[in-house]
Amino acid sequence: MSLKILGIELLKMRKRWMPYLLFLVMVAGTAMIIWGSYGDWASNDSENAPTGLRSFTLPWSLVALVDSGQFWGSFLIGVLIASGVATEYSWGTVRQALIRGQTRSQYLTMKLLGLATMSAVLLLVALGIGVLFSILATAIADKPITFDVPGGPSFVETVLIILRAGYGILPYALLAFALTVVSRSTAMGAAGILVFIIGEAILGEILRNLGGPAPDIRAALIGPNVSALLAANTIGSAEYNSLAFRELPVASDLPPLTTAALVIAAYCAFFLAVTYAIFQRRDLGVESGGG
Amino acid sequence: MQQPSTDIVLRTFGLSKRYGRRLALDGLNLEVHRGRIFGFLGPNGAGKTTAISLILGLLRATQGHSEIFGLDSRTHLPAALRRVGAVVEGQAYYPLLSARENLKVWAALYGDSAEQRIDDTLDLVGLATRAKDKVRTYSQGMKQRLGVAAALLHDPELLVLDEPTNGLDPAGMREFRDLIKQLGSSGKTVFVSSHLLGEVEQMCDDVAIVKSGKLLTQGSVVDLLRQGEALEMQVTDTEAAMRVLNAIDWVRGVIHQDGRLVVEAPRERAAELSRALAEQQVYLSELRAREGSLEDFFLEVTGEETA
Repeated sequence: MSLKILGIELLKMRKRWMPYLLFLVMVAGTAMIIWGSYGDWASNDSENAPTGLRSFTLPWSLVALVDSGQFWGSFLIGVLIASGVATEYSWGTVRQALIRGQTRSQYLTMKLLGLATMSAVLLLVALGIGVLFSILATAIADKPITFDVPGGPSFVETVLIILRAGYGILPYALLAFALTVVSRSTAMGAAGILVFIIGEAILGEILRNLGGPAPDIRAALIGPNVSALLAANTIGSAEYNSLAFRELPVASDLPPLTTAALVIAAYCAFFLAVTYAIFQRRDLGVESGGG
Repeated sequence: MQQPSTDIVLRTFGLSKRYGRRLALDGLNLEVHRGRIFGFLGPNGAGKTTAISLILGLLRATQGHSEIFGLDSRTHLPAALRRVGAVVEGQAYYPLLSARENLKVWAALYGDSAEQRIDDTLDLVGLATRAKDKVRTYSQGMKQRLGVAAALLHDPELLVLDEPTNGLDPAGMREFRDLIKQLGSSGKTVFVSSHLLGEVEQMCDDVAIVKSGKLLTQGSVVDLLRQGEALEMQVTDTEAAMRVLNAIDWVRGVIHQDGRLVVEAPRERAAELSRALAEQQVYLSELRAREGSLEDFFLEVTGEETA
């Protein structure tokens, strides 16, 4: 039964244009990372530019792709979630689900699982296309296509690189979910996550430059902990060509990886708890008031 | 007309809902019997949608609770709702999906048997030929019918319909009434809210009337109409007739209207009235029974000008 309901959630999303539009944006981003880097490399003295070469060849390109994917994916998945949740309110279909005996917890859980599945598929396919671009660019550059480089990741490490980036999207996705469930508005959910990410980055910079307990407070924000996760993705000491608008993390400035993972888990739990608690108590009457 | 059953499928106990300082529903006590078509009648803003939303668990009651099939809604609502089909006010469909896909969405919540009924249900509400079209291309009437199809998908024992004919043209309303009657005659219990008196009078076995969040009355439509029955008569001496009629204890009232007397009395006692008048040398030149109407009754209990 749950699998069937999950399939229905995916059907509902497949019939909308929003996931496809967001997917196109993701693919455009991967193209910019790989082909932009290739263009830079090809227009310079290519044989003497190993750093430029690394920006579009595997395995370094994978790190660049997931880093950018985490940053922009947080916005894009936030928009997808806001749209997916808020339209159920505006169409009145949330009420239809509940009057059919689905509990409020079941409704939210299935909605969340559906959105998570769709998000994961979109991100992974976009990543796959980015890797394909990287392989093509490497072939055009007539360079070896391999993960077997000094400091290169094993298969397990490659999976971990992707999972860490995905985990970095999770708190923002759940925040978008919470904001939309609370506000019942696509605009509030999507704009809310945008404002939060930008605001948090500004706050982080202010705290970093203040003395006293400010750096400790900064370490409790989501952003630095996500950066700590992504810092673990670095291959060797090479920099990568990410489209994320954030400073490349400085190891000494970041929380330990385990601490970062726990802080992010705590945020996720908090956002989920708020969402479920509010939805559980909420009146879901007809907005007009009716008769 | 089916006889009332003692088997109550829906019952509310002092159901109340307050929004800030406004009491939208005030201690509603309802009883809906199995196999009956129950009309929930009241002017716009009377609290009908609020009551239905409370019964279906969409709103949290400020006080009171309801029972569906004897199951307390505070503890067993999901189990009870699986035996209920409902159409709540407001649009409630996926506009980008076809009618068949919309029903597939809802059928998934019930299991395989509901999915197998999709075609039959579309056929029943007359949407089979447009089943593959996106719902956003549907007329209001077609959307209403889709809502009913969704409510019937799992063959529920109780149907709860909130203003189901809103937005329908007269032909659509008639079709809809026929559908409701058909469902009622198949043994389903139907709870239908409406602000249209004629609709309720034509469809329903029982009726409850609400106004300003309060239940004014409930009972069978036949009984309520009987209360509105009267005898119209023309007599040789109007003043003497009024004296005689007002002295009879089972005459509820006498009105002089357009040269006739309207006597609120059971029509089966017309012969007794005639005899009583004749004994006082007042003779009838015309006597006929006037049917009670739900409209008259509604206006009487609500004090409304129109409904």
